Amino acid sequence: MGRLWCPEWRCLAFGGWRWSHPGSLTRVAERTEPFLRPGWRGTRVAERGLRRLGTWKRPSLARGPSGETQWRPKSTNPFTRAQEEDWRRRNKTVLTYVAAAAVGMLGASYAAVPLYRLYCQTTGLGGSAVAGHGSDQIENMVPVKDRIIKVTFNADVHASLQWNFRPQQTEIYVVPGETALAFYKAKNPTDKPIIGISTYNVVPFEAGQYFNKIQCFCFEEQRLNPQEEVDMPVFFYIDPEFAEDPRMVNVDLITLSYTFFEAKEGHKLPVPGYN
Amino acid sequence: MSTAMNFGTKSFQPRPPDKGSFPLDHFGECKSFKEKFMKCLRDNNFENALCRNESKEYLECRMERQLMAQEPLEKLGFGDLVDGQSEAKSKF
Repeated sequence: MGRLWCPEWRCLAFGGWRWSHPGSLTRVAERTEPFLRPGWRGTRVAERGLRRLGTWKRPSLARGPSGETQWRPKSTNPFTRAQEEDWRRRNKTVLTYVAAAAVGMLGASYAAVPLYRLYCQTTGLGGSAVAGHGSDQIENMVPVKDRIIKVTFNADVHASLQWNFRPQQTEIYVVPGETALAFYKAKNPTDKPIIGISTYNVVPFEAGQYFNKIQCFCFEEQRLNPQEEVDMPVFFYIDPEFAEDPRMVNVDLITLSYTFFEAKEGHKLPVPGYN
Repeated sequence: MSTAMNFGTKSFQPRPPDKGSFPLDHFGECKSFKEKFMKCLRDNNFENALCRNESKEYLECRMERQLMAQEPLEKLGFGDLVDGQSEAKSKF
């Protein structure tokens, strides 16, 4: 079986194996067909050869020093012997093709992950099905004035972070296609500087894909000195296509929720998206 | 919500902001503009459409003080306000 893997695999790769070609399977079928006709009373050798083709029973011969089963043709007739050798060669060909296909599939499934990532990076899709939000889109977008959406704000802090973090307005009424500004306030009441990093969440989940932040304070470390209080703005807009999505017909309330965590010194957090 | 261990349900994928993160206004340089904006919001029942001038002024303040990357206001969605302003200026 060792011989089966290495040299023949290389031959396949470089296309040097001339006598293995896709027709071999049909050739085998052609050859076996006369023996399958009823009334054939050929030599017992051919039938035994056929039976070996059909079953996976290991030949009872002992393994030779090379590790391969000592195979001796069962007939003395030179024609049938050549036939058996031919069958054996065809067998090996088919087996090699099948094994190559299996390994190829396995390799393709492993290669798919980085290849898809590369594809996303080049086309800029990055996992979201919505087309890219360039600044040109912001320039040209037209507000949909008849669809008023209430955006409420929520602020959370992780238990280990001692900041006072809250929104400065409870809600704001926007329309899709219009840029809006909102503020949060954070205060560090302790006597030592604390670094925080935040993430956000949008509810309902489906509306989140239309919620675009132009600039905010999330995903980057923000350092607050002792007793310092800062205003943190969020500049966002809701994509005008929101008004055309049939699933969003009943959505009138969007909640933007920010959560602050404490950032450890020197700890690098993975930023979402493919950078 | 994104920490719920539900296999198969789509989880929320936070996206990074288009222009990155605002640097913190440690010295409160634009605080007066922010106060004006918040007052406008409270007076107008938190309607954003009526307070866009104030939000534009806040962002201009940030840009002047290097707390925000300089961008033409049209790119920030204030195209209609800029036209009105330039018209008013040309009148004088």
